Amino acid sequence: MRRPADLAREAPAPRTPRPESLPSWPHGFASSSADREALLILSGLATLTAGKLLELAVEHPTAAACLAAVRRGRSGSAGDRERAVATDPELVRSALRAADARMVAIGDPEYPESLLDLFDPPAVLFVRGRSLASLTPRVAIVGARNCSESGCDVATGLGLALARAGVGVVSGGARGIDSAAHRGALAGGGRSVCVLGCGIDLVYPASNRELIDDVATSGAVVSEYPPGIRAEPFRFPARNRIVAGLSRCVVVVEGAAGSGSMITADHALDLGREVFGVPGPVWSPLSQVPLELIREGATLIRGPDDLLQDLELAQVGLRDGTAPPDGVSEAARQAWDGLRAPTTPDALAEAIRISLSAALAALLELEVRGLVRSVGGRYERRVGDDDG
Amino acid sequence: MYGRVLGVAVVGVQGHLIRVEAHVGRGLPSLTVAGLPGAGIQDARERVRPAVESAGFTWPLRRVVINLSPAGARKEGPGFDLPIAMGVLAASAQVPGTHLSSYVFAGELSLKGELVPTPGILAVAIAAAAAGLAGVVVPLANAAEASLVDGLEVIGAPTLAEVVGFLRGSWRPEGIPSERTQEERVDGAAELDFADVRGQGMGRRALEVAAAGGHNALLIGPPGAGKTMLARRLPTILPALTRAEALEVTRLHSVAGLLTEGRLVRDRPFRAPHHTISAAGLLGGGSGFLRPGEASLAHHGVLFLDEVSEFRRDALEGLRQPLEDGRVVVTRALGSVEFPASFTLMAASNPCPCGFDGDPRRTCGCPPHRVQGYRQRLSGPLRDRVDIALTVPRLTRGELLGSTAGERSADIRGRVEAARERQRARLEGTPWTCNAQMSGPYARRHAGLTDAARTSLADAVEALALSGRGFDRALKVARTLADLEGAASVERQHVSEALVFRAPSHQEPPTVIGAGVG
Repeated sequence: MRRPADLAREAPAPRTPRPESLPSWPHGFASSSADREALLILSGLATLTAGKLLELAVEHPTAAACLAAVRRGRSGSAGDRERAVATDPELVRSALRAADARMVAIGDPEYPESLLDLFDPPAVLFVRGRSLASLTPRVAIVGARNCSESGCDVATGLGLALARAGVGVVSGGARGIDSAAHRGALAGGGRSVCVLGCGIDLVYPASNRELIDDVATSGAVVSEYPPGIRAEPFRFPARNRIVAGLSRCVVVVEGAAGSGSMITADHALDLGREVFGVPGPVWSPLSQVPLELIREGATLIRGPDDLLQDLELAQVGLRDGTAPPDGVSEAARQAWDGLRAPTTPDALAEAIRISLSAALAALLELEVRGLVRSVGGRYERRVGDDDG
Repeated sequence: MYGRVLGVAVVGVQGHLIRVEAHVGRGLPSLTVAGLPGAGIQDARERVRPAVESAGFTWPLRRVVINLSPAGARKEGPGFDLPIAMGVLAASAQVPGTHLSSYVFAGELSLKGELVPTPGILAVAIAAAAAGLAGVVVPLANAAEASLVDGLEVIGAPTLAEVVGFLRGSWRPEGIPSERTQEERVDGAAELDFADVRGQGMGRRALEVAAAGGHNALLIGPPGAGKTMLARRLPTILPALTRAEALEVTRLHSVAGLLTEGRLVRDRPFRAPHHTISAAGLLGGGSGFLRPGEASLAHHGVLFLDEVSEFRRDALEGLRQPLEDGRVVVTRALGSVEFPASFTLMAASNPCPCGFDGDPRRTCGCPPHRVQGYRQRLSGPLRDRVDIALTVPRLTRGELLGSTAGERSADIRGRVEAARERQRARLEGTPWTCNAQMSGPYARRHAGLTDAARTSLADAVEALALSGRGFDRALKVARTLADLEGAASVERQHVSEALVFRAPSHQEPPTVIGAGVG
């Protein structure tokens, strides 16, 4: 049995090693204060993605030189050129201070080395909260925004189990699976890393403000973008590559075909990270991404215990939804046994041959105990909640 | 040259006896109506003269003044054509005055002198009977309706000529079909039955409980789940209307002009207004003649609001009063009018704007804030008055095939009637007749919970974050479940089942309940 620390030390073996020919950040790209000031401006330019900046850096080996090149129009759109001239780095710096965030540039000790596996690692990260170096090892949990309630439970359970085992949870800041994973990690007393697709001072969606503040308190919130950059559709796929890059492996809980979960999983595979999939019913649209990944060779996990076992971490006692409950009435136990899949109360009553009234009473007993819940008129078992 | 006949003005559903005076005097030929006639009566001036002449009588070519007395209140209704015509004929000595003071005249005239079907005749007949008059003279088409009132002679006349003939003693009306023969025809009319419903055991159960305790219910489910199908069958399991209730319903429908063939309404009404309805359409009102709204037309029956969250806010807000008092009061500049509106509310809603939230086979694409807004719209005004909420799933083919057909409505109605009887006996001496009407404090004192039931309810309050109101509602529904079973006290399983039918917790903010359960 390994300890989390061992897991952190072991460098993941990339399946497709990064070709030497790919451009990488020049040594000392962000060493001087002028360079750091230039990065504050460069990171806010919409068309100057990390990949573009990296190309530019081949000829202009420092950030300050790159900024000068952009101002001369060597790269980026006309609008960005104007912005590169007009932006006052002092304003960005004070906004950073106001957001209680800091800049971590390439070459800094805090800069996560695992990001260098990306073919376009960001030159700079903005971080709120703890040092990223202290939050290792890391495992990503990703999935659908409009997830099902049971999917949400699974993500919470995984977050909780990883947190208990001392593993940092990485996810985006979206609602659904992302939020559930963070909540689980926080509930487990652990730390999580939230990667934003907008400026470090903003929260998208705004309803997650409180959750993300909690994450920043116990773990860290990370973004490629300086304060004030608004969430836009194209920033989320870019954000997903950082989620994959920061993590040792990626767990996909739920995702509809063609969703961002698939993008994150693709990035993870490109980086040689192991991918885990939590299967769902074959007919559910939300099962399509995990099932497809499993078909392609991702590791199937049924719940936190499988994941911890595969990561060779000690297991923490979590209910997986198959163990029968203790201390409930006989009728409730029968009802629990009958709930193999989401079932309407009348179908359940018929299946276990009791009256509808008795079945309803049994279901309520289980519901009060937090063992089942009603979704859209059918009852289902709740999984992944803490027994203790 | 003076004549006087009796007419009835209908205000709301209430008929008020009006003396229609006519005076034929010197002056240029004209017809003036005094005594606050409404627009409908002003209109009668143009119809009466051609009708009188077409029927073969003479219109006095002098100055004719009609006065509606008492003069102080505004009168409305199309039924004043006949009394005005009779007043003029009496004033010009074309009819004998012998019967004039013992009959009420009501009916609209055509230019040909025919008496055409007129709304509100039942209200007229009730007012005439209440005033102790011998009878009413009404259009033939409304005769059956008027004869629903006991102890009243009904003269159903096809044209103005027969009315004059009756007063002259040269014409007698034919017998009116008795009510008894009508009854047999009506019983076969209830074609909907719970036996047709496959699956949906929960829906059947929820509606049985709603019918037994008079509880309002909310059905939430995706399109095609069967919400409307269930709701339409609620009237079939409600207790049969008593004669007094049937008369009230018939009077309302008569005033609204919805009564066909003038027969007594014996089936509980089911009204399903479209969600674009205005507040006036739902609650009653309109300019001039105040018409009962859908809420009143559902009196003693079921008001079904499909897509309840799409209804106009002011219309839903207006439902508070009838849900609270069983009546609607429409206030206008000239006074207020009251319509009875005591109904069981059935509301149905999608779970979210797209309808597929919670459906295992479809993905809901609604942003969460829209879902929340949608649910809040539905919960706001009706929240306090809906005791039973049920999520109706769209059944899969397997679930449908595996399910058995349901019980017949008549069997369910038997249980419902027994439960209602128990409630009536228990609530003797209170202003209420069914559990849904009980006040919260009364329910808490007199529900009759066993200790086990009380404990389990207290546990549930905490675990399910039940609000104080949610607590009271669960208590009332549990009482109804006990009544359905014939149990004297509310047992634990009644409480459990009642809690299953509670409103989803997101619909109301959890509040701490302070009061103990007695």
